[in-house]
Amino acid sequence: MSSFQRWAFGLTVPAALLTICLYVVPILQVLALSFTEPTFGFGNYVEMFGSAAIGRVVRTTMIVSAVTTVLTIVMSYAVAFALVHMRPAARRVALFMVMVPFWVSVLVRAFAWITILRRNGVLNSALVGSGAIAEPLELVYNQFGVIVGMVHYMMPFAILLLYANLSEIDPRIIQAARSLGARPVTIFTRVWLPLSLPGLAIASLFIVIFSLGFLVTPAILGAGRVLMVAEYISVQISSTLRWGVATALSTTLLLVVGVLVAVAARSPALRAAFEGGRR
Amino acid sequence: MSPRLRRIGERWLPWTLAWLLLAFLFVPVLVVVPVALTAKDYLSLPTTGISFQHFASLADWRAGWLPSILTSLGIALASSIAATGVSAAFAIGAWVYAGRWPSTLRIILLSPLIVPPIIYAVGMVRLWSKLSLLDSWLGVTIVHVILAMPLAVLAIGASLSNLDPRLVQAARSLGARPPTVFGRVILPNILPGTIAGAILAFIVSWDEITVTLFITSRRLVTLPRKIWTSIADAVDPALAAIATVMLVVTIVCLLLRMTVWERLAQRRS
Repeated sequence: MSSFQRWAFGLTVPAALLTICLYVVPILQVLALSFTEPTFGFGNYVEMFGSAAIGRVVRTTMIVSAVTTVLTIVMSYAVAFALVHMRPAARRVALFMVMVPFWVSVLVRAFAWITILRRNGVLNSALVGSGAIAEPLELVYNQFGVIVGMVHYMMPFAILLLYANLSEIDPRIIQAARSLGARPVTIFTRVWLPLSLPGLAIASLFIVIFSLGFLVTPAILGAGRVLMVAEYISVQISSTLRWGVATALSTTLLLVVGVLVAVAARSPALRAAFEGGRR
Repeated sequence: MSPRLRRIGERWLPWTLAWLLLAFLFVPVLVVVPVALTAKDYLSLPTTGISFQHFASLADWRAGWLPSILTSLGIALASSIAATGVSAAFAIGAWVYAGRWPSTLRIILLSPLIVPPIIYAVGMVRLWSKLSLLDSWLGVTIVHVILAMPLAVLAIGASLSNLDPRLVQAARSLGARPPTVFGRVILPNILPGTIAGAILAFIVSWDEITVTLFITSRRLVTLPRKIWTSIADAVDPALAAIATVMLVVTIVCLLLRMTVWERLAQRRS
């Protein structure tokens, strides 16, 4: 190794030490604890798969994540598709409307949804005031509220990912389809949609992963009534001190995320999306 | 379907839908502004008059908002500087170093982007309680450095991928020593990416809540933590005031970025 190469290697060492000692090791310890706390063995996993409460939490997490992902992807695709077709001036306004929620703190957004969806919040007051409904609707502290908040949180990510993907599609392909006499609906279903599959897949992957481990929005908008995995883990750590169950659930969550990423990394479409996304 | 109906379906429906969805993204965030201006002392629209009392209560030291803002600023500054330094060193080293080591390490370094923060939180509570770093400046700053590094590495890496490797060869053939090459040839050329990385690192730390929630309790209250407890405790209009301040800062920064960006692009062309 030349002295220059040794210097280059040396520059990577601080980052390596930091991540290994203070990121990788603590996470490995979580995995280890799930087999040793309180006693050695698979006890935590047996308890986890046998517990009705955890079963409910897992079911809630899966339902909320699935609904969130489908809604987010469909709605974001509509926005991204429109963005590609906008005139520059309109696109600037539209991108601004995406960027503001993207950069505003997740807590501010969850709080905004509470003020809107509460029993005597903005939306219910408006609806009751206008006489559209007699009784306020239950819009928050239930699955509906959690899903609204989560879709609102995830959409900017998905829009930006899908927009990047859609704007890479060669406009000459669309022109070719049009000049061959394809109707707009045909162009959409037979040209745009197939070409945006890699982008759709990568965006869905990210949204599913973010949703499965999401703590903040479900905790605030669910207020304990919509218990998802992350909040359940948090309760085990901070109130009931059941480290075994918490670490076993964390390990399972990590495993699910790992499997999703591994499947994605193997599929050629997703690899193409990753490579196409380079700057 | 008549041609006119079909035309409406194909032309106008997608646009209307897209703008409605954009409104769904943008408008709900704005609702914190009128709520912050209410004259009542509970969350409500300002129907009986406008008042700035809730903004005034933010400035009251005993209300706890100001100290938590300063705490967050201090931690975000410290962790942004540290994360940018370590990330820049790593990115430059990895760009120059030939071998498998940097690409393997890069995957580990970027993994906080994918691994749910709740898992890291569980690990860090355990480690920090063993090292008595729970609820301490150092403990929170270190965690924020780790979480900020991925975005800093990505931003600096993007800058490096535009750098011509012949620049380094030229400097070396002219007899520059390794520290000169790294510090005076590579670093000045990737300054824009490094600044972008520092800003992103700052934002990550400023916004971080999930892990901070677990490793702090009473002594160290960052702004996100203060907001979190206020949302859980009661619904106080001061919360709408701080949310408004944060929203306005975000919008001003975005507008600045958009205009400055355009001016730079114009100058270049």
